[in-house]
Amino acid sequence: MNDARSEILKAIGKVSANPTAIAAQAQRLRAGACRPDRVNGPADAVFIERLRSPGVAATAERVATMQDFPDAVRRYLAAQQLTPALALQPHPDLQALDWSGISTHEHIATDEPVAVGLALGGIAETGSLVFHSSPVSPTLFCFLPLHHIVAVRASQIWPWLEDYADAFAGCAQPRNVNLITGASGTTDIEGTLVRGAHGPGWLHAVLIGNAE
Amino acid sequence: MNHAPDFDSRVAAALANPTLKVAIERTTGTARTKRAAAMAAWPEFPAARALGRDIKDHVIENLAHYLVAFEKNADAAGTKVHWARTGEEACQIVVDICRKAGAKSVTRAKSMLGEEIGLPHALEAAGLERVETDLAEHIIQLAGDPPSHIVWPALHKTREQVAELFRAHHRDPGAMATVEAMVASARRQLREKFMAADVGISGANFLVADTGAVCTVTNEGNAELTTTPPRIHIVTAGIEKLVPSTAHAMAMLRLLVRSATGAELTQYTTFHNGPKRAQDRDGPDEFHIVLVDAGRTRMLNEGLAEMLRCIRCGACLNHCVVYRQIGGHAYGATYPGPMGSVLTPMLDGLEQAQDLPRACTLNGQCQEVCPVAIPLPTLLRGWREKSWQRGFEPARVRWALALWRFTAMRPRLYEFAGNIGLRIMPLFAHGGWISRMPLAGGWTAHRDMPSPSGGTFLAQYRRRFKK
Ligand code: SF4
Repeated sequence: MNDARSEILKAIGKVSANPTAIAAQAQRLRAGACRPDRVNGPADAVFIERLRSPGVAATAERVATMQDFPDAVRRYLAAQQLTPALALQPHPDLQALDWSGISTHEHIATDEPVAVGLALGGIAETGSLVFHSSPVSPTLFCFLPLHHIVAVRASQIWPWLEDYADAFAGCAQPRNVNLITGASGTTDIEGTLVRGAHGPGWLHAVLIGNAE
Repeated sequence: MNHAPDFDSRVAAALANPTLKVAIERTTGTARTKRAAAMAAWPEFPAARALGRDIKDHVIENLAHYLVAFEKNADAAGTKVHWARTGEEACQIVVDICRKAGAKSVTRAKSMLGEEIGLPHALEAAGLERVETDLAEHIIQLAGDPPSHIVWPALHKTREQVAELFRAHHRDPGAMATVEAMVASARRQLREKFMAADVGISGANFLVADTGAVCTVTNEGNAELTTTPPRIHIVTAGIEKLVPSTAHAMAMLRLLVRSATGAELTQYTTFHNGPKRAQDRDGPDEFHIVLVDAGRTRMLNEGLAEMLRCIRCGACLNHCVVYRQIGGHAYGATYPGPMGSVLTPMLDGLEQAQDLPRACTLNGQCQEVCPVAIPLPTLLRGWREKSWQRGFEPARVRWALALWRFTAMRPRLYEFAGNIGLRIMPLFAHGGWISRMPLAGGWTAHRDMPSPSGGTFLAQYRRRFKK
């Protein structure tokens, strides 16, 4: 298959002599002024607003500290009339909390009704939750449950998509970066939007604290 | 679905299909409305689109540089990078990986490149169970249809037809009274398949050169459920999918999603980078990327470099007056609509696809909505010229054009002929409209023609300007 490689590169022809010039040119091609006017306030406030906007259609609330998160989960379960049993993302910050009254497990089932997770952060522009896969953040926790309840620290909200990208530019990348913007949906039948396709049908974000 | 060999009869069959037009309008109508709303809220779109064009042009200008950089970074993340000159070569690589792993079942997340290179067929020919996981792909897999749109492959199916298919094929279809019930049935049907597959195959919306990551976008969450549980994840991607960095991918995502569905971002935007890491609880053991040429370097060298900007958003299809009448299948190719009419002559050969560049009114709508400003009408005209030079036009077309040219160069004769038409046509009109007339069946079979009024153009011109 090395033939294929060299033939394709040969067919492209031009071998660029100057990587520095290319990098400089790429740097000039960054979105700035042409971004839609989305982030016009404190990032965490815009983030909550975007989450609740009809386009994202998630639910969101804010609590003062991480210790208040389990109560928010309890309220959600009660409001949705769900059994107090859930898959808890194996993150130490979540495991350290008091989950009394809820039975939690670490393994996520194919038809898990509820999973609780902790996002790495959020993006205000689009109301997206950011997850980096790792031993404490398995990817399937975001995709298998029917209800996904996610804690995200208000101090970890990037204003624009590019701000998130820049924060990790030049760093080792995780196996998966998941930007999650609302519950799963599909418009594949006659263009009608239906929520709860293969991923979660409900997404509830709980913002922790205030941005400093 | 019609499999007629020639374009004209496929078009005739499509126009005669009463439900098709309804189905096309339901989806493309919604898409146009939502895109228009997204654009109204984005006055900076013209500048963003110029930037999108420039990012893609920059990558295409430095394609070898970015391919090599991508390969290096992907390799560092533990990804195995393969190269394929042709579609067959790419399919062979995929099938070989599956065989070597002793795979039996494969889940697939929608990829137009996969369709282009015939991957679904190759997997089945290799004896693998192929499970399409995108809802639309699932529908057309059950129906045995090819895709009819690049974003909504099952757009030609009405909800009634989908309900019928699911009732016939699903284990536990339920009532099927609403679209919600149909989606829920598909969720139940595919759940276990996701977890049981040996190999997951996806495409790529972008390849990020400076990280070696593959970006996919979906709304359903099926891509991640396709790529995470199986032991092996294989990506097939065209070599034009590169962007310099994650930040550039973000600029392109703004354009792609708004142009495709009118949303600001897809529900799931994922960057995949290599296999499972130490201590990871999920993720594939092997991660392969097949970089596919399949005509792209030829496009680069034969005057179609601009078409390599295409990010497959589907806006040009939704806004095309021809696509909206005949749907995707009539084009008889993987890619329909304006972008397909530019691509297909390159992929399948001009002689075979010569009708497609002609099936265009050159109204320019497609170019206007294209988020990377591809001059589609100009590229289509380029194909028409080539087709003319190579003598592909049927004799009757060449004759008719020669006759028209002869007449058009002689104003008196032209006006004389025009006057004959002006006298004859009203004889066939009823209430100002002609619904039948000899030699005009191609037009009047599906719509009426207005009866001419006010004299020939030349006569009117004289009246108005030579006073
Ligand atoms: S040609 Fe332009 S409008 Fe059409 S699919 Fe490609 S990017 Fe979209």
